[in-house]
Amino acid sequence: MPGIASWVERSVRAAGEWNLNGMSTLLVIFLVLGATGLFLALPGTRGGWRPVGMALLVAAGILLVFVLADFALGRELPIWFGGCALVALFAATRVITHTKPVYSALYFVLLIVAVTGLLLLMSAEFLAAALVIVYAGAILVTYLFVIMLAQQARLAPYDARAREPFVGCVAGFVLLAIIAAQLLVAPSGVGAEPTVEEAAGTVEAVGTLLLTDYIIAIQLAGLLLLAGMVGAIAIARRQAADSTPQNGGVD
Amino acid sequence: MLLPYVLVGAILFVLGMIGFITRRNLIVMFLCTEMMFQGIIVNLVAFGRYPLNGVPTFDGQVFAVFLIAVAAVEAALGLALVVLLYRNKETLDAGAWKLLKDE
Amino acid sequence: MLAAAETSLLDINVYATMPFWPLLGALLVGLLIAFRAKAQYAHWPVVLGVAATAVLAVTLFFDLGQKLPAPEGDSAPAVAHGDGHEVDVHHGETDAHAHADHDYPGFTHTLYNWMSFGAEESLDEHSNRWIPINFYFDGLTGMMLLFVTVVSLMVVIYAIGYMRDHHGHPEPGYERFFAFLGLFVFSMVMLVLAGNFVLLYLGWELVGLCSYLLIGFYFRKPSAAAAAKKAFIVNRIGDFGFALGIFALYMFMRGHVSAGENPLDYEVVFKYAGSLAEPSGYFGLSQASLVGLLLMCGALGKSAQFPLYTWLPDAMEGPTPVSALIHAATMVTAGIYMVARCTPIYELSPLALNVILTLGVVGAALTATMAVAQHDMKRILAYSTISQLAYMFVALGLAVPDSGVFHVFTHAWFKALLFLGAGSVMHAMGGVIDVRYFSGLRHVLPKTYILMLIGCLALAGVPLLSGFWSKDEIVHAAFDHSVLVGVIMLATAGLTAYYTFRMFFLCFHGKLRLPDEAGENPHESPPVMIMPLWVLALGAIFVGYLGVTFAVGSGEAFIGVFKPHGYFHDYLHASTIGHPHHGHGGMWLMYVSGVVALAGIGLAWMRFGQAPQDEPDRKILGPVWDLWNAKYYVDEIYDAVIVRPLRGIGHFLFGVDRFGVDGLVWFVSAVPRGLAFLLHFMQRGALQGYALTMALGIALLLLLWRWIDVVPPDVAG
Repeated sequence: MPGIASWVERSVRAAGEWNLNGMSTLLVIFLVLGATGLFLALPGTRGGWRPVGMALLVAAGILLVFVLADFALGRELPIWFGGCALVALFAATRVITHTKPVYSALYFVLLIVAVTGLLLLMSAEFLAAALVIVYAGAILVTYLFVIMLAQQARLAPYDARAREPFVGCVAGFVLLAIIAAQLLVAPSGVGAEPTVEEAAGTVEAVGTLLLTDYIIAIQLAGLLLLAGMVGAIAIARRQAADSTPQNGGVD
Repeated sequence: MLLPYVLVGAILFVLGMIGFITRRNLIVMFLCTEMMFQGIIVNLVAFGRYPLNGVPTFDGQVFAVFLIAVAAVEAALGLALVVLLYRNKETLDAGAWKLLKDE
Repeated sequence: MLAAAETSLLDINVYATMPFWPLLGALLVGLLIAFRAKAQYAHWPVVLGVAATAVLAVTLFFDLGQKLPAPEGDSAPAVAHGDGHEVDVHHGETDAHAHADHDYPGFTHTLYNWMSFGAEESLDEHSNRWIPINFYFDGLTGMMLLFVTVVSLMVVIYAIGYMRDHHGHPEPGYERFFAFLGLFVFSMVMLVLAGNFVLLYLGWELVGLCSYLLIGFYFRKPSAAAAAKKAFIVNRIGDFGFALGIFALYMFMRGHVSAGENPLDYEVVFKYAGSLAEPSGYFGLSQASLVGLLLMCGALGKSAQFPLYTWLPDAMEGPTPVSALIHAATMVTAGIYMVARCTPIYELSPLALNVILTLGVVGAALTATMAVAQHDMKRILAYSTISQLAYMFVALGLAVPDSGVFHVFTHAWFKALLFLGAGSVMHAMGGVIDVRYFSGLRHVLPKTYILMLIGCLALAGVPLLSGFWSKDEIVHAAFDHSVLVGVIMLATAGLTAYYTFRMFFLCFHGKLRLPDEAGENPHESPPVMIMPLWVLALGAIFVGYLGVTFAVGSGEAFIGVFKPHGYFHDYLHASTIGHPHHGHGGMWLMYVSGVVALAGIGLAWMRFGQAPQDEPDRKILGPVWDLWNAKYYVDEIYDAVIVRPLRGIGHFLFGVDRFGVDGLVWFVSAVPRGLAFLLHFMQRGALQGYALTMALGIALLLLLWRWIDVVPPDVAG
């Protein structure tokens, strides 16, 4: 198979020449910093290294501002965008690195608020409101209830240690690297951008679409919610006594 | 202005994925899936707001509405399952459940 | 034309219902079985159904008789030399070529179109792509239906008494028996009435199925089950040829018929039969020879002719009424009927006729000798049946199918009588049928004795009984053909008389001896069994006179009164049989054959008159008798030459299937199973493990995709 052989050869040469087509050095540094920082910051036995990880993540966050500026393709980024994005990513990092589920949930509320900011920046007003109401108002409260129900007296062992943090971080950041690199080579909106008025996602605009073009989908969504409700009740009604407690009778 | 939003969405998604893979607490894992949803919502809205042809559409936002609905259902069912599992084993460790395997 | 006659006793549509009454009866019995009704009266639907058919058949017989074309007198030229049938064949060929549109006096009545088969572009849509359910009426049909239905009715009535135990309670399976009998009568009437070859084949296979079901009636008995299978499989061999024959006929006929004519309808086939003299392009045979030989294969199986007869003696495992009805009187004559029906085809093929003649002569002589050395009463009668069927085949081979059908007709009565009489003996002897275990039964079974005597005399060919007239015609035709064939036929007739009366004397004469199974007080059969026998006995005596004419004062007449060829033949000539050539004169032959029959009986009386318990023939004949007793080891030869090699091939193929094919399948499944065994270690049941693997997989795939984007592979290379 000479074709494959030559392809491998050319691949090795291209890697040696750092000809990664869209991968700026800045982006690579950001990714490496982020991956390393997250690996160290994840809960685990490397207790002493967690502040180092946090510091690396802060550095990555600073770098991210420049990366985002790169991605703006010469346009000026609104200060609010940078703020919301950094807050959202900070909250997200804390959700996955915090050892106490309650705090994770609370950081998730912060994440929702930051994402709402991003949505508002994109003139998606109705969606922003819906997100806050449904997520912060409903879903997160349910989470908190469950967390309270399943509260451990002290730090649970499964909260204190992450599983396979290294492989997980590598997989995640390879994915991110590919997405980011692809974004830069893909055709993107460099032309005229719609004004805020044009793009305003009011209740009227979204609702009209929902009740015309997507009328069947919205019915199906309603059906799905009903089925989910029935299912949740059916599951929750099952008593633990159905199966033997502790060993579960299935082990 | 599309790309910064998409990148933020991608980072949110990837962080959620990493959290789902690495954290053992079932509730936190569920939170991570919600986080992935957030990344996707940001993406969907951004694609609608900054389309290639310059004419904004609201389909992305409609998709996001459906996504929220699915997320709500998923949270309801998933948390019900978590409660059930917790009742059975008094633990939230995802690793405590390994029934789906060839003995 | 039959159809053209103005008056008829019943509407043609009434006659068309003929086959369906017994079927209705059988279905009713089936319903009775389904509802678990009492078996006591299960015979009524079938008896009534068959009776209705018999009444219709008798009416039809007279109806057709009225419409016969006027007798042409002695139309056949008085050629008395030996090669009568060769001349006839030649005559047939030229005649066929002269006018291909030969009209036979039969007519077709179509009920409905049954099924369609492929379109033919040039042909009209409605007539040619269909196989119709149609019935063909002519002299042969009427004659066949007459004895088939009447004998069936007698046997069905007889079975009411026979299928019961000594207390008069029905045997287990009583209803099933009558349901099968009804189905059989339906199938047989269908076979005879069929107006095209596909319908003929349907009836042919249906009677085969009924034969299988009824031979295996006592299916818990291994020998009965084996016999049923044997009958079915041996018939399969013949039917394969039969089916090929129909295919060949269709193939050839398609080229001869004009648009709008169905190439398998009797009317069409026989109208254009003359064109079958063309070469077929296979094996250098003419179309008629190829078709004739293939169709003959079917007759060999169904009518138990020489190479394929071995199923018939085993078929005696079935209940005796079945042996009488199916395996003596009716079903086994289907082959004779079919060949006679196809006379217009066979008269174009001297080759096929010679093959038929040869097989018939060999079969008649061989099986007659086998019958001499058997002990089982029903088996003696079975070999006798084969021998008589071979007689009929000889008649077909000699191109005198009317004589053959005449023998079919007379044989049905007296052979059914003999079988039913044997059944009566069996009934009284508690199931024992071996002539070595009883004798002198005339003291306990006087009525059966008289009836059996009539049957035996008729079978033996004693003058003035029906068997004599028909058998003599065949012997006569044989002498017309060649002296050798004639002598063999005559000797076989003598043997027939000898073995028939050997059985008769061993059974009824000598001092009274009874087997233990007969019980203290063996008794005569009930009237319901004896009355049908009287009807059959009357037939055995008198039906022969249908085939002779009274010629008082004529010089050429048997004992000055009887002249061969009577109403029967005139009747048959109004059919596809046409006017076969018969040699005239030779009245001396009738006296000779009468003397031969009486001599056979006399010899049997000398040797078996006192019912000796040892075999006197064996002392004289020695190993020859043993050979006859072992039936020339034909079954053993078939077993060694055909069955065992086939079974060997079967074992080999089973091995191939078991280890080759199954092994391949096993291997195909083993590869993924092995891979799965390796991969199943990865399946650890951990949710996050799966998620991690999935994420890594996606990352890897995207990386590859991205990398190919950056460094495109050399497609051309």
